[in-house]
Amino acid sequence: MISKTVDKKRELSINWKLLRQVILGLVIVAAILFFNARSPEKTSAVLSSTLRYAVPLILGALCGIFCERAGIVNIGIEGQMLFSAFLSYMTNVWTGNLLLSLLVGMLTGAVLGLFLAFLSIKLKLNQTIGGTVINILATGITGYFYQTGLTTQGKLWNIPLGPLAKIPLIGPVLFNNPPITYIAILLVIFSQVLLFHTRWGLRTRAVGEHPRAADTLGVDVFKIRYWNVIIGGVMAGLAGSFLTLEGVGMFERGMTNGRGFIALAVMIFGKWNPISSALAALFFGFANAMQIQLQFMGIQIPHQFVGMIPYLLTIIVVSGFVGRSRAPAAEGIPYEKE
Amino acid sequence: MKKRLLSILAILLVAGLVLGACTPKTPVVDEAPEGADVDQPTETFKVGLVTDVGVVDDKNFNQATWEGVLAAQKELGFEAKYIETKDAKDYDANIQLFVDEGFDVIVTVGFALGEATINAAKANPEIAFIGVDQFQGEVVPGVAGLIFDEALSGVLAGVLAANLTETKTIAAVLGTDLVPPVVNYNRGYVGGAKWFDPEISIISTYHPGGMDVAFTDPEWGASTAKQAIEQGADIVFAAAGNTGNGALIETAQHDGLFCIGVDTDQWLTVPEAHKCLVSSATKDITLSVVELIKLAYEGNFPSGNYVGGSSLAPFHDFESIITEEIQAKLKEALEAYNAGKIELPEK
Amino acid sequence: MEEQTPSQNNWLKKVWFSVRIPFLAIILALLVGAIILLVSGANPLEAYWQLFKGAFGSWRNIQRVLEKSTPLIFAGLAVALGFKAGLFNIGAQGQLLLGALMAGYVGFAVKGLPAYIHIPLALLAGLLTGAVFAAIPGLLRAYSGAHEVISTIMLNYVAINLSDYFSEGPWKDTTPGNIVSRLPAIQPSAEIPNIGPVPVGFIVAVLTSLLIWFVINRTTFGFEINSVGLNPHASKYAGMRTKLLIVAAMVVSGALAGVGGAVETMGVVGRFQPGFNTGLGFDGITVALLARNNPIAVILSSLFLGAMKGGANTMQFYANVPNQIIDIIQGTMLLFVTAEMVVRWVFKLRKQRDTEITVTSGWGQR
Repeated sequence: MISKTVDKKRELSINWKLLRQVILGLVIVAAILFFNARSPEKTSAVLSSTLRYAVPLILGALCGIFCERAGIVNIGIEGQMLFSAFLSYMTNVWTGNLLLSLLVGMLTGAVLGLFLAFLSIKLKLNQTIGGTVINILATGITGYFYQTGLTTQGKLWNIPLGPLAKIPLIGPVLFNNPPITYIAILLVIFSQVLLFHTRWGLRTRAVGEHPRAADTLGVDVFKIRYWNVIIGGVMAGLAGSFLTLEGVGMFERGMTNGRGFIALAVMIFGKWNPISSALAALFFGFANAMQIQLQFMGIQIPHQFVGMIPYLLTIIVVSGFVGRSRAPAAEGIPYEKE
Repeated sequence: MKKRLLSILAILLVAGLVLGACTPKTPVVDEAPEGADVDQPTETFKVGLVTDVGVVDDKNFNQATWEGVLAAQKELGFEAKYIETKDAKDYDANIQLFVDEGFDVIVTVGFALGEATINAAKANPEIAFIGVDQFQGEVVPGVAGLIFDEALSGVLAGVLAANLTETKTIAAVLGTDLVPPVVNYNRGYVGGAKWFDPEISIISTYHPGGMDVAFTDPEWGASTAKQAIEQGADIVFAAAGNTGNGALIETAQHDGLFCIGVDTDQWLTVPEAHKCLVSSATKDITLSVVELIKLAYEGNFPSGNYVGGSSLAPFHDFESIITEEIQAKLKEALEAYNAGKIELPEK
Repeated sequence: MEEQTPSQNNWLKKVWFSVRIPFLAIILALLVGAIILLVSGANPLEAYWQLFKGAFGSWRNIQRVLEKSTPLIFAGLAVALGFKAGLFNIGAQGQLLLGALMAGYVGFAVKGLPAYIHIPLALLAGLLTGAVFAAIPGLLRAYSGAHEVISTIMLNYVAINLSDYFSEGPWKDTTPGNIVSRLPAIQPSAEIPNIGPVPVGFIVAVLTSLLIWFVINRTTFGFEINSVGLNPHASKYAGMRTKLLIVAAMVVSGALAGVGGAVETMGVVGRFQPGFNTGLGFDGITVALLARNNPIAVILSSLFLGAMKGGANTMQFYANVPNQIIDIIQGTMLLFVTAEMVVRWVFKLRKQRDTEITVTSGWGQR
């Protein structure tokens, strides 16, 4: 009974939703064009800063999406990012091989994903705590073993995409970026397709929503969960490598500074959907870029209040005032075969 | 059971070895002075250092101070040791460790340790305390508050930037405004640049996070620097610890730009930024610490505020572009500042 | 370690069963720490010996351990109570921070009160702030389904921003010569004293633990909280007002964290200053899990963690060991204590009933 009424409501609201989204999109484009006409440099600076801030959030959120769509809560993204950032940096210091460093970063994320999967699937450890363990260990171990005074031999550079990079405004913002940024954008599309238009995605979502039913239909719940958490780990690893290989090119203790947690917020904001989450990440990036831009313009609001905005917005979104986001139903519950 | 215990220990050992290969951090060592300890004084002189929350090799003021202690050690030959503070509530306890071991000079780094230092000095009048960045509201016997006029080196950085800029837009990437020295650097920077050229546009920004993240967020520093550069800034002044180092490295990725470091000569600490690092707005922590330790060694330890030098670091590879005209301007700015003729903004 | 049928030493066995997992977890974590120390060239025995001496070597050190344990007890109780109700209160950190801030404000701004009024008043300020700040995620969880893990993580950031704003802005210490962002020192009448080496705050913390133990185990409220945590649906059918219970549990949890912050401000720091309360709420998670949500055991696990934190600087000073090793030991300990299976597997223990801890599940649950 109840579920039926909900469904009806949804059907009715679809058009409104679409309309709202179209209007919102048009407003954003109009605003960008308006500011671009007034000050092209500032507009493109804010936009590319938005994208740059968003990249690790996008990747982190993808990690969360893969894990949670398969029913595993992962709040250890922060730790996975920090660990990967550290090891890919160290590899870069030792070998100077950026590709190898990137692979090491991804591998680190994957191994930590495997670790989390092992804890929560095999040992049936509470998943939130498993993630907390990863976070604490990452801070401790990287802090203990990191040595300052190391220097790297360069970082990933911008690759302009031919004539595309010459389009005004869009070119420099979208088509003149370093590789991980492109990878992140491609991964969003890839993940969207994988999760919603393939057998694997169907199985993953089934395992996350109703593992018992999936099991009955012959889906290997454990295998699906393991693999998704590992894939997610690779994404988190990329996010970490982004910081040390593409972003700054240096490591610093605790340098993730909560980006892994913001990524979680981004994921919920985006309703466990890759494309929506990427948009949410862009929104967070935009909030950060505007925060900086307002200071550049000499506007004096206590910056603590501006700094609070993304967090408050997240709370508003998760509390369902702006459309409810619903998590996969079987999330956080260890699956027991019968 | 034994077998399992053994096997898990073996796994742990392997994991430990793998991690151990990650060049473990050098443990705290009291480095003996090299060659200088032939005729040690019968009663060893001991100098201890308590860091602010953080680590001693922070490429920043903890490190600069420790280098000062080591430099003095080389000259005078004494025992030196440091302790890293992990929790702000341990300030007193960490100072007390040195007191208990009979240290003669205790250096405490950072304004946050001010209160703990004064309390310890009142309880231990025989020990000389050097408080780096600790302004002394009243003179406490046995405490030398080593302070710096950050605004002065900020002014010099601002004048230098205003001289070098072609776009008439200069930027500053700053740590949190909860930390007074950072605010002073920026006040000087803005004041100096405006003094040279009232028309110049200065875009500066503080990190929005709290104390615990503002100085350890290099990626934020880098992306902020980029945002400033893309809207025309061609000089980036970074006064934000490791966050600022991110800004310096980012600026070095762009051609034809300059960046200015902070606190110490960052040419030595951030080699990745050599391409743009024209100078640094420094406070001479290392030298002043050596001076104060020497004074303590000789028994002439001063109390109250001890103003250390603040200036610009050497120009290194950029010596050639610093014309005599610029040199003269910098000199003029120094005089104008000392005469109180440079107006500084509030924040 | 074979489990036998109940016999004459039944009582001893019972005690052993309830402490064996945390105990063995601690041992294993110390072993891991020792290996890392060994590998990085330090002497683990020397390090641990100095750690021990630093914690208990003198009355002064013991006092520090007690001081460090006090906020951990409150934070641990806050998290444990949340777990009992099936809530993961990661926001204890933010609630504690704001509690410390408000106690600091009442501590310095209210003047001319005798200590026996001022101290309770400032404590109450911390308690209420924590409670109100925790009520937000509680209400959201109960009535909108927003999972408390996410909302409290976000609120932690809000708390940092708020406390920074007040310490730099309206409530800044304007004593001549002060340049530091902080609140003024609290009035002497708001300072919580020590009795010998024992801080009064510690005594309050122990009494609070007993109170919470009583509430959880001997009152209807406690029973209801427990059943909501164990099985929300069944509780609902049993006629409990589960939503109200969730809010109530969150409020009490926040109040505990808030008092923890207040005691820290009034008994140890003497004022509110940004950066002095970092990480205490997160340590509460370790404390609660190590204590398996038992309020009495919270005292012990706080003392253990407090001793590690208290002894860390002595260990660094005399054994030349970087103090990040404490974080590693703490993380490993947390891992082993929660991953019971690992410990069971290593020591070949059999599963025993009633040792399960109830903790929250994912944010899909309602």
